[in-house]
Amino acid sequence: MKLSDTQARFYGLVTARDDVAAIAARDPEARAAVEEMVIGDARLSAVDRLDVYAAMYFVRIHDVLMEELPRTAAALGGEAFHGVVTDYLQACRPSHPSLREAGARLPAFLATHPCAVERPWLAELARLERARLEVFDGPDAAPASIAALRAVPPERFGALRFRLIPSHRLLDNRFAIAPTWRAGDANGAPPRAAPETMIVWRRDSAVFHRAADADEAPWLPRLADARGALFADLCAALGEKLPDEAAAARAFELVARWAAEELIVVVD
Amino acid sequence: MEGFPNLGTGIGLRPPHYADVAEGRAAVDWLEVITENFMVEGGNPRRVLRAVRERYPVVLHGVSMSLGSVDPLDERYLDGLAALAREIEPAWISDHLCWSGFGGHSGHDLWPLPYTEEALRHVAARVSRVQERLGRRILVENVSSYLTFRHSTMTEWEFLTALAETADCGLLLDVNNVFVSARNHGFDPSAFLDGVPRGRVGQFHLAGHSDKGTHLLDTHDHPVCDDVWALYREAVRRTGARATLLERDDHIPSLDELCAEARRAADVAAEAAA
Repeated sequence: MKLSDTQARFYGLVTARDDVAAIAARDPEARAAVEEMVIGDARLSAVDRLDVYAAMYFVRIHDVLMEELPRTAAALGGEAFHGVVTDYLQACRPSHPSLREAGARLPAFLATHPCAVERPWLAELARLERARLEVFDGPDAAPASIAALRAVPPERFGALRFRLIPSHRLLDNRFAIAPTWRAGDANGAPPRAAPETMIVWRRDSAVFHRAADADEAPWLPRLADARGALFADLCAALGEKLPDEAAAARAFELVARWAAEELIVVVD
Repeated sequence: MEGFPNLGTGIGLRPPHYADVAEGRAAVDWLEVITENFMVEGGNPRRVLRAVRERYPVVLHGVSMSLGSVDPLDERYLDGLAALAREIEPAWISDHLCWSGFGGHSGHDLWPLPYTEEALRHVAARVSRVQERLGRRILVENVSSYLTFRHSTMTEWEFLTALAETADCGLLLDVNNVFVSARNHGFDPSAFLDGVPRGRVGQFHLAGHSDKGTHLLDTHDHPVCDDVWALYREAVRRTGARATLLERDDHIPSLDELCAEARRAADVAAEAAA
């Protein structure tokens, strides 16, 4: 038996939706193929031995997903989460060497899963949990400090260009997910429908998220662009709804907040 | 074997102990890290690894090189590993005699190989390619296994021996895996120890396992059992003392408890090598 045939047969059986015993019970050809490939004995049949690997494949990934998305798992309940993972592993087989990436497509998958009919907010909760994981391991950056910004002469502030630190995610939510995330269990009220932009970011080793306010929400996508955005443009945009002096004050307030949160870097 | 000095006794670096180990509170000689956990862009894992490396020798131990897979070697993975090695300067790099992916998909497990001439040629070529890419010899570890392929034509230790000679690599001898596989397949673990080339062994692994009744499972969630300590003693008598690493991945005890168990390995090795 060629190595490629061995691995194809082994992989197909170990990663199938059903365990190997169930497949062998309904398909005599599959049983024969297993027994042709693997030696069984009185303690464990060939099928049982392959099932050791099938169980480990599923349980390892299931347990990692449960650990990484605890609120999503709690909202679904153990049995339903087990079913979702079963469906997910058939639709989105892991392809990255790191086990931490096994759940990368789960939020998008949840949005199309039948369980989303009753819980249309669930994919957004999963996406928030996933985003928090991703920024935890994201690239480091030197954020703009308030002290450094205070040292900039006022006449040069308009030419300053800012962008978001690389370890961030912007999430366009249809539901107010933050209270559900905070509650941390399945017993709270479902989140209300309320479109919001949420920002997730890392400061040193701590991960934060919050909903953007109405003034900053339109700016965050521009700040996410590698070219960043000019402070003068922020003032001008705010000036469309505020008097000039108030617009400048509000722009300073926003930049001060982003700097205090270590959310922005100055683009050279 | 040249390139794999006896570093003494170490433990696997795991998240519950990151902070303490980064501040030098692990009473061991060296640390082994799971490579893939640190192949990230930045953040806490890399910061911890840099801090640990300032205080201890570090070995990169991978689980995803998939040396036995018929899929092409993952060049992006090797690039990432090479970059991490340049930054961390590990004492050495190791991975497993197994395959863990097929058809571009990852199984996140250490799947066994049939011990055939075809598999040997395939794995040896890939180990050589990896060593060339990394510019150093690697250690290849025996895995715990739960099945034997009917078309295998040699024993696991014959395969490992031929692989080490053909690819000119070293061996990471996991004593617990020898014990688990021996029980699961009914071979004599001493025959395994007798069969591997002593001069190629660069490191030992020790760990605990679970008894499932019908088979032993390599769970790394218990202390090392007496039978495995006895087998380790036998192994050291054959090879002499080698860098030894205690693995624990579940039910992880306090750092002090783990280091105390690791130090027992130093005592056993000293007694066996005397």
